[in-house]
Amino acid sequence: MNRRIIHLVFYILPLPVILASLFIGPSHTATLGSIMDLFLKNSDDSDLIKSIIFDVRLPRILLSFLVGGSLAISGCSIQAIFRNPLTDSYILGLSSGAAFGAALALAYAFLPVQLSAFIFGLMAVALSYFTARKNKNVSIVSLILSGIIVSGIFTALLTIVQFFSDPFKLQSIVHWTMGNLHNANWVKLRSSVIPITIGVFVIFVYRWRLNVLALGDDEAKTVGINPERDKIIILIAATLASSSAVAVAGIIGLYGLMVPHMIRMVTGPDNQKSIPLNFLFGGTFLLIIDDFSRTISSFEIPIGVFTMLLGAPFFIYLMKKTNIGWNS
Amino acid sequence: MLLSFSSAFTSCRQSVPNSTKSSSSVNVTDFRGVEITLPNPAKRIVCLIESALSGIYMLQAENQIIGISSGVYNESTFAQYAVLDERIKNKTLPAPGNWDFVNIESIVALRPDLVIIWASQTESIESIEKHGIPVYGVFLKSVNDVYKEIHDFGILTGRSQRADSLTNYTRNEINQLRSTINIEEIEKKNIYFMWTQGLLETAGTTSTVNELIELAGAKNSCTTSQEHVVINKERLLDWNPDIIVMWYNPLKSPEDIAKLSEIQHINAIKFNQVYELPSVFLCDLWTLKFPYAVKQLAKWCYPASTEGLNMNTEKQKMLVKLYGEKGEKLTK
Amino acid sequence: MEQLNNAITVSNLSFSYNGSVILNDLNIDIKPGKLTFILGQNGSGKSTFLKVIAGLLVSQKGVIKILGNASDNLNFTDRSKLTGFLNQHHKAIFPFSVEDVVLTGRAGFIRYVPKEADKTASYNAMSKAGVLHLRNRNYTELSGGEQQMVMIARLLAQNPQILLLDEPTTHLDISNQSHVLSLLKQLVSEGMTIVAVMHDPNLAFLYGDDFLFMKNRKIIRADESMQAWDTDFLKTIYEGNIQSIPFNGRALLVPYLN
Repeated sequence: MNRRIIHLVFYILPLPVILASLFIGPSHTATLGSIMDLFLKNSDDSDLIKSIIFDVRLPRILLSFLVGGSLAISGCSIQAIFRNPLTDSYILGLSSGAAFGAALALAYAFLPVQLSAFIFGLMAVALSYFTARKNKNVSIVSLILSGIIVSGIFTALLTIVQFFSDPFKLQSIVHWTMGNLHNANWVKLRSSVIPITIGVFVIFVYRWRLNVLALGDDEAKTVGINPERDKIIILIAATLASSSAVAVAGIIGLYGLMVPHMIRMVTGPDNQKSIPLNFLFGGTFLLIIDDFSRTISSFEIPIGVFTMLLGAPFFIYLMKKTNIGWNS
Repeated sequence: MLLSFSSAFTSCRQSVPNSTKSSSSVNVTDFRGVEITLPNPAKRIVCLIESALSGIYMLQAENQIIGISSGVYNESTFAQYAVLDERIKNKTLPAPGNWDFVNIESIVALRPDLVIIWASQTESIESIEKHGIPVYGVFLKSVNDVYKEIHDFGILTGRSQRADSLTNYTRNEINQLRSTINIEEIEKKNIYFMWTQGLLETAGTTSTVNELIELAGAKNSCTTSQEHVVINKERLLDWNPDIIVMWYNPLKSPEDIAKLSEIQHINAIKFNQVYELPSVFLCDLWTLKFPYAVKQLAKWCYPASTEGLNMNTEKQKMLVKLYGEKGEKLTK
Repeated sequence: MEQLNNAITVSNLSFSYNGSVILNDLNIDIKPGKLTFILGQNGSGKSTFLKVIAGLLVSQKGVIKILGNASDNLNFTDRSKLTGFLNQHHKAIFPFSVEDVVLTGRAGFIRYVPKEADKTASYNAMSKAGVLHLRNRNYTELSGGEQQMVMIARLLAQNPQILLLDEPTTHLDISNQSHVLSLLKQLVSEGMTIVAVMHDPNLAFLYGDDFLFMKNRKIIRADESMQAWDTDFLKTIYEGNIQSIPFNGRALLVPYLN
């Protein structure tokens, strides 16, 4: 009963949050009052206010939403197909691989940024997976271990790329490894919206299948599912969505781990219910976090700092408060 | 083994001048507030700061340099330093570190009598000092710091006179400019400064850039009291700067910036006032060359009152004055 | 029609794993509409045989026909309509509800998302398996026996023509054992074919229709002239001292002390 109401709220939430976010920002010109005035009369500032709302805030809001949603939905699907609730695109090394690919493409322009991010993201996942695989078996611990190692390798490679290509290394490394949304614009949004939509759509279509896959390969095969094929499709979709997010916003660590668990506290582990909510709430929550970051400081701090400082305590609170069955 | 031996050697050597202070000994206080006393003006200097190195060349003390920052070899300023020093041109001058990483072993092996390094590199400083090598730590927040730095370098290299004359020349240049643009009466232009890292990376009120903008009779758009700051895009729209000044940028041109759709309503874009400072070497804000950038800013802000200012002539005058004969070659 | 005579025919089947031969040239028929038990000592390859038939392991040699269809030509979906499989161990990671676990049995019928008919089928399956009261519980929090019953309900939701069960009673206490075996009997009487690997020959003898034995990488059916529970025959299968005691027209097998 209670759950059902929360469920409903999560579905409705994105719209008011997106709308409200349009009115939030550090500008002293485009304040709530002045935006309201816009509907009544034309002032000298109306062009500027429109520009702030539609060219600065709107693309950032939409990009934050897409990035948050795609990280959460890929995190959830990755957890299901690897049967490992402790993983996500960050822990698997996917994010670092994608960030390296994107930075490499930006520095040397040999491939489109999105494509390069995707290729290296996929490469990182494959590397983590095959490193962890032993006797056709991938244990929870070894997958995390190899993911952390692969992530380390690609972060090191990213640092090398920054070192050789950018005279202002440290700054850009921070932007890549802690995430950034302040450079959002329509161009970035356009470059990421198609791959993210495709990835999210495929995962959405396969949402119930994730339940079957999460029971194990034998249990999937004998009820008529080809687990290898399905897992590859889902993994490519998840990589597409999260590497695109990384290519435009850098690495926002552990967000894809945290949100699926938050959602499970509401819906339970049924992926048919949780997958849509992961996208909707993942997007909304990152947007709310970014709204905070845009209001509380006059300068920009990498978004990863806020997802950790605001998201993690919330997560810990939920973890202590609810029982979703990890104890047994 | 080797290290402890050499450290013992240097520390023993240093204890001698302390007891018998000769008339040739020199003494300054660096930016950390640490007093540095040398028995004689330094003859073997390792200078790990590119701008500080420029200062030493201005003092014409290049023969006292035995080590430089690796940045000199890697960055866009290499061509100019190659003109200033044959050893840089031939890449024979050792580069044992930079602003970030320092190879203590290489430094010790060079047996310097002075190391010039950013004051923020505290760990490296500690290690170098452990080997008994005097360290001058630099931290530049203002134009006055630039004057102090060159003054101290004058003392440390035994070229105080030249240091003072160069400082006076620079002060004069600035005063002259400010009277030309009639600093008391103008309506101050609003400048947004853009670092190479991106449109939203700017200099706050506690930066040398801020001072530069003020010296040019303009005001800084950014009012945050930080040195380097990443701002939110809508702040930029709010500030609505008259002029956008880009630091030297190999990635983007002023035309690229003018094309960004989200900032089309800014005055600077509307009236086509986006400029890029020419080269890092010429505009180095942390050296006595800073008046060149100030003049350039003034010219962009107040074209009418600075009509007589020809930047090409200014460049030649300045380089010859600061670098002497070699400056002549630099103008080519 | 072939499938009238045999539910499963196995000809010249060999399987080896990592170079060691586990099944060597097996030939056997399994009758439709019967409860067939496969018995044999630990490590004799019973589970491997069942997994090969279920399509989970691929044999190197031989032909398996399931209701007349060559096993090699079946894709996972087609196969799921013919055979269902119950694993000996199943480790769940996510705390899915029992309802959700049973519903996954319908995967072969579901394109992407389950329909109302699938939910009805799994409701009925849970009811038949007697786990309806558990449907909102977390699968991971159930006892081993309850989990086994849920997985059987999942098989019923799948509703294949043949059930392949790997030690269905191992984790169960005695009342649950009889519960499961009675259910299997009922299913067989409704026309289902069931093949189950059993660890305990006594339970098999109490409930089974047909008995297969695995020994020395081969599979044998008790000879026509001999009953499966004949002590002399069983001594050829199980090593050590054993003796069968007549019971209810059949027999129970006990260890025999000198």
